[in-house]
Amino acid sequence: MAPLEPWEKALVDGEAFLATDHGELTCIECHAGTNVSEKDQAHADMVVSPSAQPDVYCAECHEEVTAAYPNALHNTQAGYWTTINTRNGNVPEDHPALNQMFNNHCSTCHTSCGECHVSQPKNVGGGLFTGHVFEKTPPMTRSCTACHGSRVGNEFLGKNEGFPGDVHFREARMNCVKCHEGADLHGTADAALASEHRLSGAEDPQCIDCHEQVADGSDGIEMHAQHGDGAELTCQVCHSISYSSCDGCHVAVSETSGNPYFETEATYMTFFIGRNPIQSEDRPAKYVPVRHVPIATTSYQFYGENLLSNFDALPTWVYSTPHNIQRFTPQNSTCEACHGNPEIFLTMDKVQANEVNANQSVIVSAIPGPVEMFLSAMLQPADHAELVTNSCVTCHAEGIRNSPVIPESHLGFTNESCIGCHKLP
Amino acid sequence: MIRKLLAGILVVLGLILSACSTGTETQSATDVPTEMETVVVTAPESGECLACHTDKQLLIDTARPEELDHEAESKGVG
Repeated sequence: MAPLEPWEKALVDGEAFLATDHGELTCIECHAGTNVSEKDQAHADMVVSPSAQPDVYCAECHEEVTAAYPNALHNTQAGYWTTINTRNGNVPEDHPALNQMFNNHCSTCHTSCGECHVSQPKNVGGGLFTGHVFEKTPPMTRSCTACHGSRVGNEFLGKNEGFPGDVHFREARMNCVKCHEGADLHGTADAALASEHRLSGAEDPQCIDCHEQVADGSDGIEMHAQHGDGAELTCQVCHSISYSSCDGCHVAVSETSGNPYFETEATYMTFFIGRNPIQSEDRPAKYVPVRHVPIATTSYQFYGENLLSNFDALPTWVYSTPHNIQRFTPQNSTCEACHGNPEIFLTMDKVQANEVNANQSVIVSAIPGPVEMFLSAMLQPADHAELVTNSCVTCHAEGIRNSPVIPESHLGFTNESCIGCHKLP
Repeated sequence: MIRKLLAGILVVLGLILSACSTGTETQSATDVPTEMETVVVTAPESGECLACHTDKQLLIDTARPEELDHEAESKGVG
């Protein structure tokens, strides 16, 4: 997104703006200052961003949203702190240094009402969208992807060279809020339900919100009949293409200018399927696409030693939802394009040696075998549905109660793998 | 907006009072709109603000050079 000229940022479209509800207010009612022609005097004590205080300036008309927004991730940035604190180990003595780091480098991503609805985010230089006319739906490229640009934006809009944009944009011309509705972005008034991370809770939105027939395979597509229930795969496993990963981001403050800055060592395109590191009832899939995030043990070193002393607590290849969905992808072209193809799985050899421990929860130790093996796998006895334990090896490692012993060909499989092939009747 | 709301409340209050009042008091009820006008007149105007901020050339002429981008010294993808 090209930056705006200084004059352009502040130019008001008098005719258009005054015709809107917000135009019924005087400038000074929201921005303070003084109604005089001399510039400095007019701007003295001016409130540049009224919506930074939504309870003062927005709540009178937008009560519901204003009550919820304090708990929204765009406001709390809780996702940052969830990962920072986890990798730090929540060491109280480190918090001043981490706070300083956060305030210098991360807090700029905080978003006020106005930064989505009337101007470009400050983070990307600011400036009014359309002459101060408030937009109920934020303009995608000047608002959403202005911040979420280097990964989601580039993928969605097809800006990664050689890789097409997301089919939802390319063919359906959908913008972000078609899926990510205002209510999702504005948060919840119930602080107890506030998200700690964007991946907290169940997937929302879900692909099956629109593609209902995929889940039960009633669309006639055999791969959906096999995998559409989401128990094994997220939709992106089959329908994403390569997306960007990054390595080695380090943050510091410039000795020359005193401004904060960052340096990222590498950015590259990858597509790897890893094990789901946050597998739960809400997110049951066993496999998900994983993206390398640029965290390193020394990322915050400028602010103190060992600030990421619990580095291995979270993977560096993280659960990912790439926004570059295609109907046809290399991995869904045939069963064999995925089954038995080590190239597309995050196996140990693809992980940097110093990050192996951190990525134990995502590294795929045994890639799914040929389809024939799955199809010929014996079913579980029906009464296994009543078993309390889900540990297959408890009986099948030794053949307790005459149960079939796990064959040598299965030695690389984990206990959780069994039900992938041996399903209940 | 708050002031408009207050003015509206005053008008309604005036109407209620006038309904309960005697003929003599009707005179004072007519004072209420006068009060409302006073409120509107003292609301902050923005003529000078708009005069400048809708004038592209004036904004170009008076714009100050912007400070260096916050993270201009950064390298790589953020």
